Order: sequence, then structure tokens, then C-alpha cells
Amino acid sequence: MPSKLRFVVGAGLIVLAIGYLITTAVRNTSEYYLTVNEVGAREAQLSGQMLRVAGRVKAGTISWDPATLTLGFAMVSPPDPANPDGSAVKTVAAAEPAEFRVVARGEPKPDMFAAGRDVIVEGRLAADGTIEARQVLTSCPSKYVPKQAK
Amino acid sequence: MPLIGQLALALALVVAVYSIGANFLGIRRNSPDLLLSARHALWAMCAMVTVAVAALWTGLLTSDFSLEYVASYSSVTLPIQYKIAALWGGQQGSLLFWTWLLSIFTSIAIFQNRRRNPEIMPWALIVLAGVAIFFLGMLNFVTRPFDLLAAVPPDGSDLNPLLQNYWMAIHPPSLYTGYVSAAVPFAFACGALITRKLDDGWIRTTRRWAIFSWFFLTLGNLFGARWAYEVLGWGGYWAWDPVENAAFMPWLVMTAYLHSVMIQERKDMLKVWNLALIGLAFMLTLFGTFLTRSGVISSVHSFTQSGLGPYFLTFLILVVVGYTALLISRVNDLKSPAEFESYLSREAAFLFNNLMLVGIAFAVFWGTVFPVISEAVRGVKITVGPPFFDKVNGPLALGLIFLMGVGPLIAWRRTSPQTLLRTFLAPITMGVGAGIAVFAMGLRQWYVLTALSLAAFALGTVLVEFRRGVSARRHLVHETPARALVNLVAKNNRRYGGYVIHLGVVFAFIGIVSSSFFRTEVKRSVRAGQSFSIGAYDITYLGLKGVETAHLEDLSARLVVYSGGRQIATMAPAKLFYKRPQQPATRVAIRSTPLADLYIVLAGVDDQSGLATFEVFLTPLVFWLWAGGLMMAIGTVIVMWPNVRERAALAVALGRDEALGAEPVPGGD
Repeated sequence: MPSKLRFVVGAGLIVLAIGYLITTAVRNTSEYYLTVNEVGAREAQLSGQMLRVAGRVKAGTISWDPATLTLGFAMVSPPDPANPDGSAVKTVAAAEPAEFRVVARGEPKPDMFAAGRDVIVEGRLAADGTIEARQVLTSCPSKYVPKQAK
Repeated sequence: MPLIGQLALALALVVAVYSIGANFLGIRRNSPDLLLSARHALWAMCAMVTVAVAALWTGLLTSDFSLEYVASYSSVTLPIQYKIAALWGGQQGSLLFWTWLLSIFTSIAIFQNRRRNPEIMPWALIVLAGVAIFFLGMLNFVTRPFDLLAAVPPDGSDLNPLLQNYWMAIHPPSLYTGYVSAAVPFAFACGALITRKLDDGWIRTTRRWAIFSWFFLTLGNLFGARWAYEVLGWGGYWAWDPVENAAFMPWLVMTAYLHSVMIQERKDMLKVWNLALIGLAFMLTLFGTFLTRSGVISSVHSFTQSGLGPYFLTFLILVVVGYTALLISRVNDLKSPAEFESYLSREAAFLFNNLMLVGIAFAVFWGTVFPVISEAVRGVKITVGPPFFDKVNGPLALGLIFLMGVGPLIAWRRTSPQTLLRTFLAPITMGVGAGIAVFAMGLRQWYVLTALSLAAFALGTVLVEFRRGVSARRHLVHETPARALVNLVAKNNRRYGGYVIHLGVVFAFIGIVSSSFFRTEVKRSVRAGQSFSIGAYDITYLGLKGVETAHLEDLSARLVVYSGGRQIATMAPAKLFYKRPQQPATRVAIRSTPLADLYIVLAGVDDQSGLATFEVFLTPLVFWLWAGGLMMAIGTVIVMWPNVRERAALAVALGRDEALGAEPVPGGD
């Protein structure tokens, strides 16, 4: 076999192997990344699945038990930036603002966790509509500007 | 002051545009005066951007809250070092900082090449000025650092507490230095393509720039990891977050580039590949900035979302399309007479190492943009988390470590299997021995066994190389072993510095594997006086202590750590409550030893029940990740150390002799 061809074959095999690794890993590790409203719209079909859900912590719903490290809260959709008070015309998909109860067990409460914060919850959607979280991530904005700025 | 800064930025933009015009005209009319004028214009640009940076720093240090930037990222009580670091704490400032670095590097490159590369230089400067114009355009029109507030607030809203940390103060400048210095080799590559001066002159001219860039990308990644380790309080240091990936991808491609240029210098092969790699490295630095600044991909580190995204994307596409077209149009000039001869050759090892590195970079890229692609194609956002990156990169990392062990010892061109076996007998013995030893210690995970064997194998190669060199010197010039070692490294700094980097990589790899597989974790809520244990350690919680300053409130827990009944340490993890954005943060207590890190987080304090919640991690060998990182940095410094022989080689390559003259720090020959 001419040496050039031999190297093309060798390099090709490596590229194929990398491609194979990527496709199988994608198949085995992918999770839906959804907003609270999207989960609400197709709750039935997502039941029991691993999800990453982005939403906002609803005020007055937080319960925290330091003895058992159990954090519970309700997660809602952040207000649409274009439509902050939700008064104007609503799209069909967002007609029913969804709300989910999240329970995280055995994890300390994240520092930045507070009512009104945006969070990403990673966990399983249980049959009763609760999200059993494996992880609660708080977004850390690099900038804190009071909303009225500008 | 704000006005001066604003004005300086406008002038910088004007002179940058002028320099491009002067360069074009100078090339067409073959006028040295115009070309000189273009260079001077870029120096003026550097001076102007420096003025703007000084103006913003003045604003930060004097707490001039009429500046929106200062009001957003600083406060009266912010410690001075973080006021300085606030320059790169926010978007406008970090873009300004970026532009500043670019203008400084451009000026240094001009100075270094004032008598060299006369054909390539004007084009390289056009490219550098083009990049500068993009950033200056952003700073002048889109995201302005000197915008004023109508109502001046009494105090600023302070820098994010998470960023008020030593590592976060030095992480962004390192990373940006790494990003921006990649622009210089890229610009020279463009110049070489345009002028068709496609020998290895451009590579040799910018070799130090590439290493310099790699050095700071390495540090930037390490500092970022260290920051995550010390500040985020989850016991890990890397989460495959898009922002981390954005810093990791250029590092991978730059690593590939630094290896494959050796083949071009030696064998005049892989020219297209090298040009493609440096282009890719530069594009990935832009992509990194785009990712972090556009909000296209949600990251835990969500930055201020801004209108920058579309501009960045347009610029990025322009660079990708333009550079690709340029490269394709020159393919016929890039034919190489030499060919690969055998799989059993150093060229082959380098080629495969390149494929692995670029493969990892591609996998990281794919995993990072997957949510966007899946949403575009299937209408549903699907993410792949850290498991994806571990699954793909784990095996590829094994391949890389193996090739790292093979590369230094295998001969160029071809080797017979017999010679190969003889050369590699010692490293293979070490590898197999390490595997058996680890197996005997009771470890059964196939990945760990393979990884540690390969690490020992790669370590063996480097040791064989050092031993060989030292014993040759001892016989030839009769030196003591220590002296021979020093001279060996000093006289062949490029080669042995590289081996020191390899050692660092092996150690870091061992640290990464061990911390990924053997980390244990305990979470416990206890009252003062109660104890709990992790591994061989017993930990007793004594109580809380609070300290308050104008800037923050510091609540620390006192813990005593016992091992085998003996007290070995007291530790004080703390919760910090910052006052300006009222927000808690964590100060982790870490007791680091070469064997294992004991890492304690005060996760929460409940006033009613008196319970303090601790999260404790015991991570074996993670120390070696940082030690290995330090070793990589030291090795890179050895590689970059000025070397008379190399300058002579550069002089030959460029066909002139000024190269032996003054060599400015930091980039250059």
C-alpha cells in the first residue's frame, strides 16, 4: 500500500473512532433542557425523564431543613423581558403559566439561592409533577444592576 | 477623565483605520515612508488605548460613580486590589483590556520586526489593525466603557463577591493574554499566505508568540480551575461549563500547533495543516469571547447579556470565511515534497497526537454548542452534561498520554520494530510495573489501571531521555551528574523544557484521574462539640466566630481534625456576607497534602437549631494537578528562555543577520 494512502487510512480510523465516541456519548448523556413553561406544556411525555429545567424561584415557597439537608421550593417561569407584567397579548404556548415543586435532598443550599433568583434544576420529573432535583444551580451574573438602571 | 478616555478611544479607532490605509498604499506604491507611518500610527493607537485604560483605572480607583461602569462594578469599600481587577470584571472593561493587550502586542511585534520580514509585516499589521478596529468599534459604538450616569449614585453596586478572590483577579488577565497573543502568529500566517512567502519564516518569527500564548492559556485554565476549586465550594475544579470550554479549546489547538510546527521545521511537511491550526486557534479565541458575551449558550456563569452577540458572530464568520478562502487559494503553493514513510516514526506520533488534540477540541465544541444545534434541527433544546465530556475525552486522553510517551523516543522517518522494542524497554517496564502495583493495591477500574500505567510509561520516556543526555555529558565533558543535568537543560532548553512540560502533564493527568475516581464526600449537620468522620479523619466542630468589617461579615466555623487520635490540623471554613450586593459567599478551608486534600465547606448555619452544615470532600492526589500545572509553567519558561543557537537558526531562515541583535521580551524570535 502506498504510504500516503496508508496514512489516510490511519487518520481516517482515528477520526471515525472519535466520531463514534461522540455519537454514543451524545446518545447516552443527553438531557432535555427546558424552561418551566415548556415542561408544563408536555408534562405527560416527560414524566420519569432526566431534565434540566431553567426557571425562577417563587417567593414565599422556600422550605429548608438543615438537619436533613432538604430544600423545597416552587419554580416558575421568569417574566418575559419583552413583557414584564404579563399584561399584554399572551402566546398560546405560554397561556398557562406553569409551576413546579422542586425537592432537593442531601444537598446543601447554594449560597446564591434566594427567592426571585434564576436557577437551573437538574433532576427527574416524578409522576406527581414534582421535580426531584439532583442539583440546583444558581446563575451568577457578573453584574448587579438595579433593574431601573438606564 | 471620562471625556479623555472617550476621546482617546475615538482617536485610537481613527489611527487604526489610517494605519490600514497607509499600509495598503505603502504596499501598492512601494513606499517605505508610508509603511513607516502606518507603524507609527499603530504605536499611536497603543498610546491612545493606554490613555483610555488609565482613565478607566483612575475612575475605579477614585470611585467616580458618575461612570456607569464604575458604579456597576466597584464600590467605596471594595479593597484596592479588586478595584484594579474590576477593570476586567465587567464587559466594557474586559473588552477595553483586551484591546489594550492587542495594541501592546502589536507594538511589540512591530518593534521586533522593524528590520525583519519586510514583505509579510505590512499585511500582518493590516490584519492586527483590522482586529483592533473591530474591538475599538465595539468600544466606541456598542458597549462603551465611559458612559455616564445621569444621577450619580452615592456608592457603586460592587464587584460580584465571587470575583473578589485572588485567583479571579489574575485568571482573566492570563486568559486574555493567551487569547490575544494568538492574534500575532495568526496575523503573520495571513501575511505569509497573502505574500506567498510560505516557507517556515513566519513560524520561526512567531514561535515565541505561540508559546507565550500557550503559556498564558495554560495559566488561565489553571487559575480558572483553581478559582472554581477554592471559591465555588463543590469540591471540584472543572465542570465542562461553556465558559470553561471556551478557554480550553484554544489551548488544545495551540498545543497541537506547537507540536506540528516541529514537523514543518524538520521535514517541511504539514504546511496546510499548520496554517489551518493557527487560524483555528485564533478563531476559537474569538469564539470564546463570543460565547461568554453573547448569552447564546446558557452557562452557570451567565454574563450580562448584551447586543454584542450579532457583531461578534458577524466578525467571526468574516474571519472564518476570509481565512479559509485565503488558505484554499494558496493550496498549490503549499505542496510538500516530503511524505510520511512509516507508522513507526516521530512524524506519525505527532500527526496522531494532533488528530487527538483536535478531536478533543471538536468534541468539546460539539458538546458546547449541542443545545443550539439540537434546538435548530429538532426544535428541542438538548444538553449534554459533564458525563458526555468525560465519556469522549477520557479515552482520547489515554491515547494522548500514550503518544506523549512514544513521541520523544521514537526516531524520525522510520524505526524497525526491534529498535523500537529496545528503546522502549525501560518505559514499558515502568508502565507495566505501575499497572501491576496499582492492581496489587486493590484497584480494579480498567480506566484507572490503564491511565496510571500509561502515565508511568510516559514518565519513563522522559526519565530515559534525561538519563541518556546526562550520561552522554558525563562521558563527553566529565561533569558531575547535577552539573550535567543543569547544562543539558540550559544548552537544549527547547527540547528539555518540553520534557519538563511533559512531566507536568503526566502529574496533572494523575491528579485529574485520581480526583475524578476517588473523591469521597460527606455532608453533615452538627452542633458545637459534635464530631463526624471522613476517610481516616475525625473532625470535631467547636463553634462559630464572627468578624465584621465595613465591606463584609465573616462567619467562620472552628474545626479540629484528628487522624489516628492525634490532632493534625485546625480548619476554619467560613461564610462571608457581603454588604453591597447583599449576598453570601463561601470561603472553603483546604488542607492540602501530596496524598490527599481535605476540603471543608461551611454550607449553612441555622440560627434556630444551632446546626451548622458541613460538606466535606476528601480528594486523593489532587495536589498533583496543581503541582503538574506549576511544572508545565516552569517548563514553558525554560522553553522560552533566550537561546543563541535558535537565534542563529532564525537568522539563517530569514536570510539576514540582524536576528542576533537585541531581543525584546516577551515574544519574538
